[in-house]
Amino acid sequence: MSRVVTDRLLKAIEGNERAVVFTVIEGEPLGAKALALESGEVVGDGVPPAALGQANELIRAARNRLLELDDARVFAEVYGPPPRLVIIGAVDTADALCQAAKLLGWQTIVVDARAKFATRERIPNADRLIVEWPEEALAEVQPDHATAVLVLTHDAKFDIPALKAALATDAFYIGALGSRRNQERRREKLLAEGVDAVEFERISGPCGLDVGADSQPETALSILAEIVALRAGRSGGRLRDSKQRIHAEAV
Amino acid sequence: MKEILADVERWREKGEKVAIATVVATRRSAPRPVGAKLAVSESGELAGSVSGGCVEGDVFEHACEVLRSGQPKLLSYGIEDEEAWNVGLPCGGEIDVFVEPLDGE
Repeated sequence: MSRVVTDRLLKAIEGNERAVVFTVIEGEPLGAKALALESGEVVGDGVPPAALGQANELIRAARNRLLELDDARVFAEVYGPPPRLVIIGAVDTADALCQAAKLLGWQTIVVDARAKFATRERIPNADRLIVEWPEEALAEVQPDHATAVLVLTHDAKFDIPALKAALATDAFYIGALGSRRNQERRREKLLAEGVDAVEFERISGPCGLDVGADSQPETALSILAEIVALRAGRSGGRLRDSKQRIHAEAV
Repeated sequence: MKEILADVERWREKGEKVAIATVVATRRSAPRPVGAKLAVSESGELAGSVSGGCVEGDVFEHACEVLRSGQPKLLSYGIEDEEAWNVGLPCGGEIDVFVEPLDGE
């Protein structure tokens, strides 16, 4: 790749910008490279417009892909910031989640309106703590297609406004901790507040995979496993029972 | 790219040429995902990986050639063939690896 493309790519990686690098790996000009940024900026040449035109779609899917064009094969490699996990409720499980999310390389934000709860001592593993009401915090964080929102408060006073605010965003995952009965109550309340029944189904409640989690780290594992599976379009069963490819593929 | 970034930047700063090998396609079960990279410096240093160590030796040879010629190339690895002594993947997967010079042209 030309030095211009390399330099711009390094800058994009450093600045956590969303971008796609296209490389012609079969066809002419072999090895041609272009970098397309989310802003629309394109650096480099020789890459067919049919590939460049897919930049935004690739950024949203957040997976590397080989594009088969009529007269070329173009490898598309997606760069961007890591997924974000926004946790509403600075309860004990929140820190276990932050710790586990760190292993995945995700950014974590913990939100709680109660300053007594949202402290560094209680939640040492969060990348960021926000002492605000959920709606205010979500308005500031602006969850997008690469953000998961998890509501752990199981107190209707915080839960309902938090879930309502989360449903108004592009978050790829919205989860709520609590019993099935709790989830039924949330359904009644949210529908009464004008949330559409189909929209409500975006909420994973009770959140997590059915792994029989007991301790807080196990609960964190169960929830993060569900988030990873959903992001990859998988249901989260056992690999030995699955006929699908083991690794996620581009959707 | 992120996993090899520190090494690549260090080599670049020293003025060394660098070749990058990237997994661009996998079929069946493959040890490393599409996008995994192995970087090779002009002086023979390595960073990253494209398999579980099964084909790195061969990719390294090709990377050295790419550094000499400046011409990128596409490599394919399939199932290991013990009798033919072919380089391959014992896991039964297949991978395509694109090797190119960084800062080419």
